[in-house]
Amino acid sequence: MINVLLIIFIISLLFLSIANRLKTYARVISLQGFILFGVTYLQLQEINTFNLILVLLETIVFKAIAVPIFIIYLIKKNNITREAEPYLPNFISLIITTIIIISTILIANSIDDTALDKIFFVVAVSTLFTGLYFIATRKKIITHVMGYLIIENGVFVLSLAVGNEMPMLVNLGIILDIFASVLILGIFVNKIGDVFKDVDVDNLTELNDL
Amino acid sequence: MLSLILILLASLFFSGIIIRTKSILSGRRGAGIFQPLKDVIRLFKKGTVYSQTTSVIFRIAPVIYFSSIVIALLTIPFGSHRGIISFNGDFIFFAYLLALGKFFNIISAIDTGSSFEGMGASREALYSMLAEPAFFLLIGSFALFTGHTSFYEIFNFLHLGSYITYLLGVMAAFVLVMIAMIENSRMPIDDPKTHLELTMVHEVMILDNSGFDLGLILSAGYLKFAMFGAIISNFFIVDINFGYSIPSYFAIQIIFAIVIGIIESFIARFRMSHNSQFIFALTSVSILIFFGVLLVLEKF
Amino acid sequence: MIYKIMLLLYLFIAFSLAILIFINKNRFVNNIFIISFLLLQSGFTVYVCLNYKITVFEYFTADSLAVLLLITLTLISIASFFHSNLYLNRHDETIRSRNIYFSAMIILITSLSAAYLSNHIAVTWIFTELTTLSASALIYHHRNKLALEGTWKYIFICAISITFVFIGILFLSLALKNTGSTDLSFSNLVKYQKSLNIFWLKLAFLFIFTGFTAKLGLVPMFTAGIDAKDNAPAPAGALLSSVLMNVGFVGIFRFYIIISNTEISHWANLIIFIAAVLSIFIAAIYMSKVQNIKRMFAYSGIEHMGLVMLGIAAGGIGYYGAILHIILHSFVKSSLFFQFSQIYAVFRTKNIRQTGNYFKYNPIGAVVLLLGFISATAMPPSGMFISELYIFKALFQSHNILILIFVLGLLTIIIWSFSKNVMKILFLDIPNFDQTKIQKFSRLESISQFIFLFTAIWLGLNPPQVFVNLLNDVVSAMPK
Repeated sequence: MINVLLIIFIISLLFLSIANRLKTYARVISLQGFILFGVTYLQLQEINTFNLILVLLETIVFKAIAVPIFIIYLIKKNNITREAEPYLPNFISLIITTIIIISTILIANSIDDTALDKIFFVVAVSTLFTGLYFIATRKKIITHVMGYLIIENGVFVLSLAVGNEMPMLVNLGIILDIFASVLILGIFVNKIGDVFKDVDVDNLTELNDL
Repeated sequence: MLSLILILLASLFFSGIIIRTKSILSGRRGAGIFQPLKDVIRLFKKGTVYSQTTSVIFRIAPVIYFSSIVIALLTIPFGSHRGIISFNGDFIFFAYLLALGKFFNIISAIDTGSSFEGMGASREALYSMLAEPAFFLLIGSFALFTGHTSFYEIFNFLHLGSYITYLLGVMAAFVLVMIAMIENSRMPIDDPKTHLELTMVHEVMILDNSGFDLGLILSAGYLKFAMFGAIISNFFIVDINFGYSIPSYFAIQIIFAIVIGIIESFIARFRMSHNSQFIFALTSVSILIFFGVLLVLEKF
Repeated sequence: MIYKIMLLLYLFIAFSLAILIFINKNRFVNNIFIISFLLLQSGFTVYVCLNYKITVFEYFTADSLAVLLLITLTLISIASFFHSNLYLNRHDETIRSRNIYFSAMIILITSLSAAYLSNHIAVTWIFTELTTLSASALIYHHRNKLALEGTWKYIFICAISITFVFIGILFLSLALKNTGSTDLSFSNLVKYQKSLNIFWLKLAFLFIFTGFTAKLGLVPMFTAGIDAKDNAPAPAGALLSSVLMNVGFVGIFRFYIIISNTEISHWANLIIFIAAVLSIFIAAIYMSKVQNIKRMFAYSGIEHMGLVMLGIAAGGIGYYGAILHIILHSFVKSSLFFQFSQIYAVFRTKNIRQTGNYFKYNPIGAVVLLLGFISATAMPPSGMFISELYIFKALFQSHNILILIFVLGLLTIIIWSFSKNVMKILFLDIPNFDQTKIQKFSRLESISQFIFLFTAIWLGLNPPQVFVNLLNDVVSAMPK
């Protein structure tokens, strides 16, 4: 069942690469949060119950519900236009995402360590690179933030893979998640929305050396 | 033999059901179910007009198209009965027969010298190119899963047990249905109703055909529909015993037709640039199916 | 046991002082709090020096590297508070922004101290995150559009880098899996050095190195730091460009000790070489076209960090040279930034084209700038000349001649750009300069910079034996 959820997670990545509207991005990130909730519940059998409840709560409340709702609220409040404006057409994004997934599968094949379930490695690393790719090829600041959230989801998957032996790392991952979401979303996108009319990266070009 | 007869029977009413569903959903009574068949018969009785800019290709293309579909039909099995042609690797034969027919369609469209038809031909070529890896990866994954390489054996030995195989089955069914839509030029890839310049894909290629040729092309289209319906129904009827399998086969074909009618009524066609994305997404999903099969087989 | 209590007490008092400064409106009381923090910091440094070489509850340690960097941090932070006070008085700040500034600075210095002392990679990670937070509060001090842009870039790139370091930590725990131990402290990792899984260790190194380059200022994540140092007020910029880069170095160096005795040390050295040479290359390119004084100092910092990592990768005497270089660089760069406040007070602009003939308006400050320039470009009698000489010797001895020649060429370009700009600021007269706009400041402000620059010269040319022993102790764990 974990494999099923993780494959659906990768499909959601593919769907993100061809999505057009910002609300779709937020919804897919919410879906990823629910999938991670399921995976956490099924995977972390060996840590103590209190810790597990904490992790599950964080996954559901933060990743799946609170942050996507807050993003949609920010989009409405700052009147950000609906389209995500990529620098490269969506078709190429899709090809590159597929290439990322294939390369991680090939790299994972060359690991001969039985300590790690390889599908976790594939999902985590492909999510990480897809998130980085989104940050690099989208114009709007809010999509940069969403790319960062996708990276966070990937890191969370990886921490689940080692979470049974070292639950402290899962907790650290949650601290990172909460800290980054509160800081980046709560403070800065608010501020940036107040100062800049169009929330575009093109506005952030005044600091340069010329 | 059985599957050939069943597919021929299904093709008689398949397109009619689609059109009837669409009419009912838009509040009209609509034409009868056998109307497309009557149209084809009418066309067969007419004479053909050939333009002077065309060559031999234009005259032989419809026949080659039709005959490639008929031969491809022969490979489809029905439940536990083989198709008339069945050998190892016959799904590759199947795919390339269809490609042969499509190739002749494309070059006959270009042969007419019309820029409309050339445009439609190039789009058709692009979509077929993007959909081809999806089909091969899909059937190839199942070949890997069952260990056999012919249609009959793949479907016979396909056992869906655990969660992950159900997921793979659902994903495969989705990809197959979408490939069927692409091959037959239906929504959301192509709208069979529009005859506007910039939005036609398949319809535009057959603008210059008339009479007997047009009848051949249309009936080949209906046969293709029934053929894909037969492939999809093969997924479900392998485990049912013989007495119930023929009615369930027809039931699945009818349901498939109704579903296509519903999709066509409620979804608009994608923007042209989104079409290629969507089709390539099918290839990516097929890659994931392949990866899932590797997981199940523990070769990963 | 007592050490543990003292450490927690230090953290607790420091954070409470920060909170108190934030909420208290009375300026006099806040000044008392600031002075008490400085006393706390100095007291804690003395305590750590006295308790040298004790590792406690597997999370903190007081080894030589920690002691050296902690002393540097305390000295620079004292000067930084002093100059911040002068800066804020000159700029007419509101009480609230002043409080935020000082709280953030206290949190920054405390987290840096804890990060230097940490023995566990997760503890370093947590405190590095805290430095990101506090540094961004400092960068956002002016609250205008440029500051917002700089802060956003800084936070975003540092967040991504911290995530990378976290991924590296996860891979490290995978590497540790087959040894049966789950303790991620550095001392434990050194113990199990030979039995770590090579593949995961490689991945862990890659990610941790990339993550910490945001703090250290190397390719690929250096861009955050440049904008940060440009936008932060100059005394904060001094902290950002000296001691904050050191925490990046600490993160990488402690991890490097672990892998230096394993099979992947050559591969890791290759990665570090690539990053370091690219950084010096980029510094050379940007310095030749930069027009903003603070950015020029920031790029010079990148060049120096590139040299430090070259020393680490080259080995041999390069280790000694690298650590010496990083300590001297902290003193020199911070004094340059402190001097910048006075340059700004005279010329009211950051642009090099609009400054000139500094000798006429502030001769003492101009001497500081000249001396700082000589130190930063590592000309004798600067102490950094000695450390760079060691690094180059190490490169030569490890048969990396091509890299040496390339880097020397790049350094020549950097020295040329730097001299061109500094000579212009110092000597070239600008027409139409409005002398009435010069702000009043006391000439005595330059004293701290003189102290730091002479310290740098002294530590380089004639270091005290204690200092040399500490440095030798840091490099003793490395392979010869």
